[in-house]
Amino acid sequence: MPVLQANEIRKSFKEGRELVNVLNGVSLSLEPGEVTALEGPSGSGKTTLLSIIGCILTPNSGDLFIDGERVDPKRSDRLPGIRRRAIGFVFQQFNLFPALTALENVEYALNIKGTRGPEARSQAQTALDKVGLSDRRSFLPRDLSGGQKQRIAIARALAGNPKVLLADEPTANLDSQMGMQILDLFRALAKQENRALLIVTHDAKVRNISDRVVRIQDGRLLN
Amino acid sequence: MVDLARKNLLHDKLRFAITISGVAFAVTLVLVQIGLFLGLLDNATITIERIPADFWVTSKNTPNVDFAHTFPDSRVQRVRSVPGVQTADNLIVQFMNVALPSGAEESTVVYALENFERWGLPWKVVQGNVSDLRRGAYVFLDASAAKRFGPFELGDYREFAGSRLKIIGVTKEARSFTTTPLSFMDFDLAQRVFTNLSNRASYILVKLAPGADPEAVRAEIRRRLPFNDVFTRREWASRSRNYWIISTGLGLNMFITVFLGCLVGVVVVAQTLYTSTMEHLKEFGTVKAIGGGNSDIYGILARQATISALVGFVFGAIPSYLMSTLIARADLKLIIPPALWTGVFVGTIVMCLGAALISFRKVASIDPALVFRT
Repeated sequence: MPVLQANEIRKSFKEGRELVNVLNGVSLSLEPGEVTALEGPSGSGKTTLLSIIGCILTPNSGDLFIDGERVDPKRSDRLPGIRRRAIGFVFQQFNLFPALTALENVEYALNIKGTRGPEARSQAQTALDKVGLSDRRSFLPRDLSGGQKQRIAIARALAGNPKVLLADEPTANLDSQMGMQILDLFRALAKQENRALLIVTHDAKVRNISDRVVRIQDGRLLN
Repeated sequence: MVDLARKNLLHDKLRFAITISGVAFAVTLVLVQIGLFLGLLDNATITIERIPADFWVTSKNTPNVDFAHTFPDSRVQRVRSVPGVQTADNLIVQFMNVALPSGAEESTVVYALENFERWGLPWKVVQGNVSDLRRGAYVFLDASAAKRFGPFELGDYREFAGSRLKIIGVTKEARSFTTTPLSFMDFDLAQRVFTNLSNRASYILVKLAPGADPEAVRAEIRRRLPFNDVFTRREWASRSRNYWIISTGLGLNMFITVFLGCLVGVVVVAQTLYTSTMEHLKEFGTVKAIGGGNSDIYGILARQATISALVGFVFGAIPSYLMSTLIARADLKLIIPPALWTGVFVGTIVMCLGAALISFRKVASIDPALVFRT
């Protein structure tokens, strides 16, 4: 049973007086433990689709189910709750909090998700262990390499056990070798913990670690 | 819980220092300005507070204790005969020119009574014996006069309104609202020295007999002296204070200075918090993306504003406290009562939270999708 099911998602934005249709009836499902690559040229609607299935944006029409729960587009006030429970994000720019250490970055995400105190610290430590960065727990992001930052971002996304992991160009700011290492780690963790992983990318290497490749163009999925 | 607010605030130490400086400046400005004003107001009513009179009989519409208008001194007899009055004495309060050895002239406010001990004046005697005042052409001078009149010692002579008087005592803390030093001399002597005061008095001080009905006594004094006013000590002090606060515009002046101080604080805090918010916009977007709501971000901003307020208050309060010693050397009083500390403390927090509101508005409109932008 898919952990995420998107049916006929449509989204348009106003640009000046024009209405631009960014997504034109996209349907997509993600299975637990499945790694999916979403490829497409710039402006094809990748990020918009990612924002909608990540419950950051609401679609104009279509249905979205996450972990069996229908996401009501009219109740945008409920989106943060769904994000807390079910979604983990990894960003191209890492988006770590510069003032927080590696451990605190993960712990803070757990705090937002409702886990506090020693329990949050322990879970954050476990997440850092999984990405092999226990020895960098007290480092600030500025003292870490790009690869290390991305691994912390992955640990943060894993924290709280969300069913769906969404990654936006996670290797774009890494060199080729480091990018491959990150992708392998990401895939291994997704498989090991039975999470659905969707990676939005331009990077051909992502295909190698994906179970499925989905292409999007002009707001439509091609296959 | 990881304290993102505090860590973000302290991460940029320069900006934090600027914020704190702004708050501390506003706090110091407000505390010192109001403290000085309270010090001046204290001077304005210090004799009223120190003299244990139940009623002050004044000329009609006398605005404050320093600007007295005189009336016949025989009226005191009419007051003394009112049932319920235990004691009633004439008091002269009069600005007088003092000729200095240098040839210059300075002012003093003379307080003249027949019996100083009875009315507790002067309240802080450094040198001399007050009971000696009635023995001749003598005067007690406040130590603060040294600044205006030049150094003086017991036994020195000074010319008060053309009459040579011997200084036989020194007092402390006896200054008027305008920081003019007070002098104390015998009632008859004052009437002789200042010819306009012949058979005149500025006030009648009234002490009630135990068990007397104050309102009945006041009504009777009013009936007998229809061309005078009768005030309780509290009313008279309040009237004297209000004269300086309202009639002279000094209150408005102080209000404007305090307002400007607060405005500086608000602008500095608002600007630094807003700039900080703008620079951390993507972080706030990330907070939203990982499941945080606007309330989480409002919490961060409010906490940052509160921390800025607390630290800024401490850094503003310490110099204000230390300044009171320096200001005392300049013969000024800085009075910061507990209520003022509390008020400024609460005001600082409100000011900083108010300054954060502009950032709240910005944060409310953050599009979490900005986390995907490079």
